[in-house]
Amino acid sequence: MNKVWWVLQKDLVAEFRSLRVWPSMLLLGVVVAMVFGLQMDLLPQQKQRLVGGMLWLAVFFAGMAAIERSFSAERDDACWDGLRLFPVDLSLVFWSKWICNTIALSALEVVLFPLFFALSHVSLLAHPAELLLVTMLGNLGLSAVGTLVSALATSIGRGGNLLMAVVLPLATPVILAAAEATRMIAEDALNQTFWRWVQLLLAFAVVFVTVGTLLFPAAVED
Amino acid sequence: MTAPQPAIQTVLLSKSFGLRPVLHDLNLTIPAGQCVGLLGVNGAGKTTLLRCLASLTRPTSGSVHWFGEAAADKPQSRRLIGMVGHESRVYPQLSLRENLVFAARMYGVHQPESRADHLLQDVGLAARASAKPREISRGMQQRIALARALVHNPPILLLDEPFAGLDAHGSEWLVRMIDSLRNEGHAVCFTSHDLAVTQQLADVVYELRSSRLEKVRFYGPNLMMRAAA
Repeated sequence: MNKVWWVLQKDLVAEFRSLRVWPSMLLLGVVVAMVFGLQMDLLPQQKQRLVGGMLWLAVFFAGMAAIERSFSAERDDACWDGLRLFPVDLSLVFWSKWICNTIALSALEVVLFPLFFALSHVSLLAHPAELLLVTMLGNLGLSAVGTLVSALATSIGRGGNLLMAVVLPLATPVILAAAEATRMIAEDALNQTFWRWVQLLLAFAVVFVTVGTLLFPAAVED
Repeated sequence: MTAPQPAIQTVLLSKSFGLRPVLHDLNLTIPAGQCVGLLGVNGAGKTTLLRCLASLTRPTSGSVHWFGEAAADKPQSRRLIGMVGHESRVYPQLSLRENLVFAARMYGVHQPESRADHLLQDVGLAARASAKPREISRGMQQRIALARALVHNPPILLLDEPFAGLDAHGSEWLVRMIDSLRNEGHAVCFTSHDLAVTQQLADVVYELRSSRLEKVRFYGPNLMMRAAA
């Protein structure tokens, strides 16, 4: 597992030095949040119903900008072949990129959650532990499916177009479950249905990580 | 006593892209300690052959063996290969030393930091260790690419157009380096357009023509004769 850490550390150092993905991701997220927030001339109850969906759509669209770059950056720098020549199981590379993309989504949410709160005045912090759980599971699922499809899209040279076209339908259940669970947190309605959505998020995260781990080596083959 | 296994052996290796055959039934054997030069016009398939030898590209049919074992059967067997491509394959955001340390760690090299320092010394870049790849010349980039490929001391070294863009001094340095690697027992296979350098350096020279390998014999500078391998 040391190798997972070395690739992750390399990716994070490279991003912090070049700042070529995260700033544009954060900017896009902020713009989407501002548009949503300023257009929401609604009653407080209506805002509570909408905030989850808007938040997770903003996370998805801004986050995919970062996830799409996780492999195309390796291609641009012609380092992808070098990575494939290392004597490591390529699934470990998937794990590194998956963790890195999860960190990127988390960083995005650190900015977006307070922004949504400020713009909509809907408090999401009434149940911080539940919000953290939903966010973590949503991030794990979204980044797993995004990482796998990004690798596939990059290896066949189709980049971002294919990524959005394929990821959106695959990620819809995750976005829907995360949005519903977030709405229930905003409405202070943590009933049995809430936990069903959480279970669904967990199931998708496990399925996408397992599928990614198994398919990644074949997906990146020339 | 059994004969030692060749470092690289291909058996009826073929590669097509769609309907276009690039390599057709190639049988190539490179023993340890031998330097093989590959000539061919642009698009002849030299890079594709090198990528197949490195297991970066899956052949359409046939097989590649490293020391008698199917290439890249297990991830660990990739330790046997070092490759220098058209690009230096180093990360532009990391310094030269950080790139080598990262590669050494990924190969599981003991004491990666001191190995990186040792290699930087070997390729004459110790003074530029903290420079970024974009801050150094093309010749220096070739040097760091070679250092990266040698970080785990692989017995097989594949070099794709290693002399491209190098000045006379850089070419001389690379010839000396490859020569010394061959003398240490590394199997080396390189592609080139430069007949003079190929003739000077390679023990055996092949030309890729019409998807097939033809052995080349030289009769004086730049005068060569082909024979089917």
